[in-house]
Amino acid sequence: MTLVYRPGDSVAHRLDPRSKFAVQASFVVAAFVYTTPGGLVWLTALTGVLMAAADTSPIATIGELRYLAPFLVGAPVLQGLTLGTPWFVVADAVPPALASYRILLVLFVSAAYVRTTPVRASRAAIQRTVPGRFGRFLGVGVALVFRFLPLLQRDLARIRDAQRARLGRQRSIRDRARLLAVAGFNRAFRRADRLALALQARCFAWNPTLPPLRLGRRDLPALALAVGLSAAALYGAI
Amino acid sequence: MSDTTTSDVDLVGDETTLNIARAALLAALTGAFAIVGSIPIPFSPVPFTLQVLGVFLAGLLLGPIWGAASMLLYLVAGAVGAPVFAGGSAGIGILAGQTGGYLFSYPIAAAAAGYLAHGGSELTDLRVIPSIRPLAGMTAAIVIIYALGTAQFAFVTDIGLVEALTLASLPFIPGDVFKMFIALVLIRSGSLNEHVLPK
Repeated sequence: MTLVYRPGDSVAHRLDPRSKFAVQASFVVAAFVYTTPGGLVWLTALTGVLMAAADTSPIATIGELRYLAPFLVGAPVLQGLTLGTPWFVVADAVPPALASYRILLVLFVSAAYVRTTPVRASRAAIQRTVPGRFGRFLGVGVALVFRFLPLLQRDLARIRDAQRARLGRQRSIRDRARLLAVAGFNRAFRRADRLALALQARCFAWNPTLPPLRLGRRDLPALALAVGLSAAALYGAI
Repeated sequence: MSDTTTSDVDLVGDETTLNIARAALLAALTGAFAIVGSIPIPFSPVPFTLQVLGVFLAGLLLGPIWGAASMLLYLVAGAVGAPVFAGGSAGIGILAGQTGGYLFSYPIAAAAAGYLAHGGSELTDLRVIPSIRPLAGMTAAIVIIYALGTAQFAFVTDIGLVEALTLASLPFIPGDVFKMFIALVLIRSGSLNEHVLPK
């Protein structure tokens, strides 16, 4: 299972998407400023609190991020290696190791956002934050990407199944990639043409009605945290 | 009781509607390639994914403006939680992380590929223009992707540029050059439906 929204009633579920986004963004900035052992201890504790507030399991999140492991472990190892004795310099490997750990924390916090924020709310937040037609384009486009991603994934999986059933695995990688790409793009464009027709038939407009968003009293702690993290980052950077 | 407001319906034009639909679908397809489009290669830890093909073809088929718009949608959708980044991941953390530079470069790379291939922002028939133009466009796209990608990897991971290039870029470059030729075959052969190609 990949990182997706799960309905629930945790503290984070009840927050406005904009305040959660503010916490996330300020956390990233603070993590970049305080990439020291001491700073990372505090940020680890904060990550724990945020994940608990979002009812998100760190172990399940690690499982979903395992494909990043070669990069996270590889960077410090590669930096520590030297040609000639002593072959591995621990001091060289420490900064990249801290950086890798920082990335892990940032990924945890963003996983908590993704788990607790429905797409409709994110779309409304985008459209209300980014003004004008550009914001509306982003809002509509992002909603369409969410809608069509599973369909196109299924299209591609079907194409690969069909290839496999016809002994496609015995072809060269070049042929397999070409055939998958041709069929994938053709289906996507056919869907796009049908979608455009359907949108026109339904009076596709620049000014549709959006779900209400409300920044309320319960968002205050989150906003305060975002301001605090930003202030700490600013203080540390000066 | 009612907080209804009335305002004129501001309809989206026909051509813009088609372009929005195509941009969104190409963004979603690029995301779908990140998971389903991977073909394991024997003896290589790096799976072969067709994601970069989405970047090339967004620029070539939609042109520089809508191609870049499509890749921007891909990034924003990923940032707010669509599992479109490598391996089905999502979130602002990926963009701020080691491999975020490669992703940030996609809109610029798609715009460069489209601009150089079509010689401007007007779409031309890709089947009849000289092959050198799409090739030059895609080469520029690859250079942009690896320049930005390596720079962010080195900065975020706090390692030297040479190490970043070795770990995160060099293993992928042959595969991306290979995808460039696949993209060229696709647009030259007419194996995509005629409605895919600009009139």
